[in-house]
Amino acid sequence: MIMAEQGGCCCGGEKTLIAACSGAANTGQIANRLMLALDEMGKGDAFCLAGIGADISGFIASARAARTVVIDGCPVACGKKAFARHNLSPAVHLTVTDAGVKKAHDYANIDAETRQALAWALPRVGGASCCG
Amino acid sequence: MKIQILGTGCPKCKQLTANAERAVQEKGLAAEVVKVTDLNEIMNFGVMLTPALAIDGTVKSVGKVLTAEEIKALL
Repeated sequence: MIMAEQGGCCCGGEKTLIAACSGAANTGQIANRLMLALDEMGKGDAFCLAGIGADISGFIASARAARTVVIDGCPVACGKKAFARHNLSPAVHLTVTDAGVKKAHDYANIDAETRQALAWALPRVGGASCCG
Repeated sequence: MKIQILGTGCPKCKQLTANAERAVQEKGLAAEVVKVTDLNEIMNFGVMLTPALAIDGTVKSVGKVLTAEEIKALL
């Protein structure tokens, strides 16, 4: 579910929003794939990191009101830093290289690397979508 | 001034609308309170939880029903 009315008909808990760096490397794209996979698994709702970077008030206020998971591809941590610009601190911050995936501008093994990263990320994400 | 209440029509959205109208009235402002119920339009604000409140296009609150007093402080 994309949107929830907090405390409304389907939601009693806190909504989880998941943002990914989606950068121009295998790890950045794996971060994006993890976000989509976790959304499909009901662990939270995919969320626009670019909206935070672009200072869009609705995204910032939404991140402030929810439990957030930020997935960065590498230790440069652009996602976490974009959040920090607005004094936002994610409940969970994951870095794909911590899953043992080496950063490269090479996408040949991205399917296998995504599976490896997802297996690592799943027990670390916690929570669930408020309607999930 | 334009106050937009973003929500699909749930009781909390209606309460927030009522609170906003009361805040405007008590402040004596020439502001209009407009309901935005279209989901695509709400998402264009970047809002992921409702109800939300925007003032002149800037989202000030998401996912809670502000009281009239809280809204007055934003105006």
